[in-house]
Amino acid sequence: MNQAELILLLVKIWGGVGACVALGFLTFGIDRLDEDARGAYVFRLLIIPGVLLIWPLVLWRWYVLAGGKDLWARRYQPRRNSHRVFALIMPVLIVGIIAVGWSVRQTWPVDVAPVQLSEPGQ
Amino acid sequence: MSVKYIPVQWNRNKWFYDLVMLIGVVAFLVLFLFVSPDLLSHEFPINPQVHNARAFGACAFVMLTVILCIGPLARIDTRFLPLLYNRRHFGVMTTFVAITHASYILNWYFSFSKSDKFSALLFANTSYTQLAGFPFEAFGIFALICLLILAATSHDFWLKFLTPPVWKSLHALIYVAYIAVVAHISLGILQDQQNHVFTLIFIGGALAVAVLHAYAAWLDWRGGDEVATQSEGWVEICGPADIKNGFARIKLMPNGDRVAVFNQDGKLSAISNACAHQNGPLGEGRVISCLVTCPWHGFQYDVTNGRSPAPFTEMVPTYNLRLTDGMIQVDPEANPPGTYVEPVAIPGWKEVPA
Repeated sequence: MNQAELILLLVKIWGGVGACVALGFLTFGIDRLDEDARGAYVFRLLIIPGVLLIWPLVLWRWYVLAGGKDLWARRYQPRRNSHRVFALIMPVLIVGIIAVGWSVRQTWPVDVAPVQLSEPGQ
Repeated sequence: MSVKYIPVQWNRNKWFYDLVMLIGVVAFLVLFLFVSPDLLSHEFPINPQVHNARAFGACAFVMLTVILCIGPLARIDTRFLPLLYNRRHFGVMTTFVAITHASYILNWYFSFSKSDKFSALLFANTSYTQLAGFPFEAFGIFALICLLILAATSHDFWLKFLTPPVWKSLHALIYVAYIAVVAHISLGILQDQQNHVFTLIFIGGALAVAVLHAYAAWLDWRGGDEVATQSEGWVEICGPADIKNGFARIKLMPNGDRVAVFNQDGKLSAISNACAHQNGPLGEGRVISCLVTCPWHGFQYDVTNGRSPAPFTEMVPTYNLRLTDGMIQVDPEANPPGTYVEPVAIPGWKEVPA
């Protein structure tokens, strides 16, 4: 098994576990946690992809809510400062990445002769 | 929303928003595919599959750029707030456009390999140690996974289930995804782009995102919510005359919470500044008939008890408040969401004509 096949196998395992979590969560877990979901079934089809992708987070929230450990005050504490971090990092990275992209172009300026980057694959 | 969940919540405004968005996407694709196909031309002629892939990829980039500009624009100028209203539908459509781009790529460049096409995608180029010829596909895969997570968790159920702060943190992946897309394009298509119309769109769009976010953060840092001072266990907000009728004064309390104190016809009420839906700034909304409307998505709350009008059941915490020596003071300990607090009358209050 090569590395690419291993990555794909891990993706399949992740999705398989997610499917099991989705089955349990959407058939009986969700009704106990959210009154707005009781008697509403069609929207659950839209929830399935999310559970497949972030099932560890779903399990954690399921555990917290089912155990009555959810702290209501935390729902009202927006993390506004996190935007400042992204707002500072993004411009630097965007400009840096574009500059790197331009610097390694081989077809511009026109007088730069292209070079072979690596041997052809087998 | 706190009525029974339905798959997609549409109303007239959202239909209009989605229609404009769809027309924009179709117009972009028609322009790049049929009206002026040379805009995506390269050194060598390309076949329709590759051209489609590039058109959808360019479209996804432009959509993502617009999405990322909406947030800071709405912070800079409230006239852009209507664009924020249905941004999630915009994001979901962007994901579908990005999936289409990826499908064209996968089903052309990697479909004729002896290996499985997904395996071929992962091992066709593994030159991770060099910048020129870097496997830029990896950035695209990463960005697409981020977009899938965002689209798959866009239903209101996820907001309530994960809580708004966790949901917002998860959806901050959009920033990481955008940086990955910039890298995907810079080390990918930009390397042999011959017609520089898209190059200009790309660099202009990416720089617009960078500048707008930096500017919005700077404005927030300079003119952000004032920090309240504490006095004998109470937090001082301002004098009653400092709050216009129907509006609020927002203060950041020492415990990190933001409180919004409203003046409703000479009566003061205090609720959490964070909307129960997406933690939007309630204090920037206006009170009409005791109800404040969140400027982000229109959720409403009675400022005396923090409850949404029936049939909705959203609630926000309320705060006890008092008037001492002409100063409004708030108890920093929030009441549980939905707790009624008797409004405090401002002595001798008279509405100042506009």
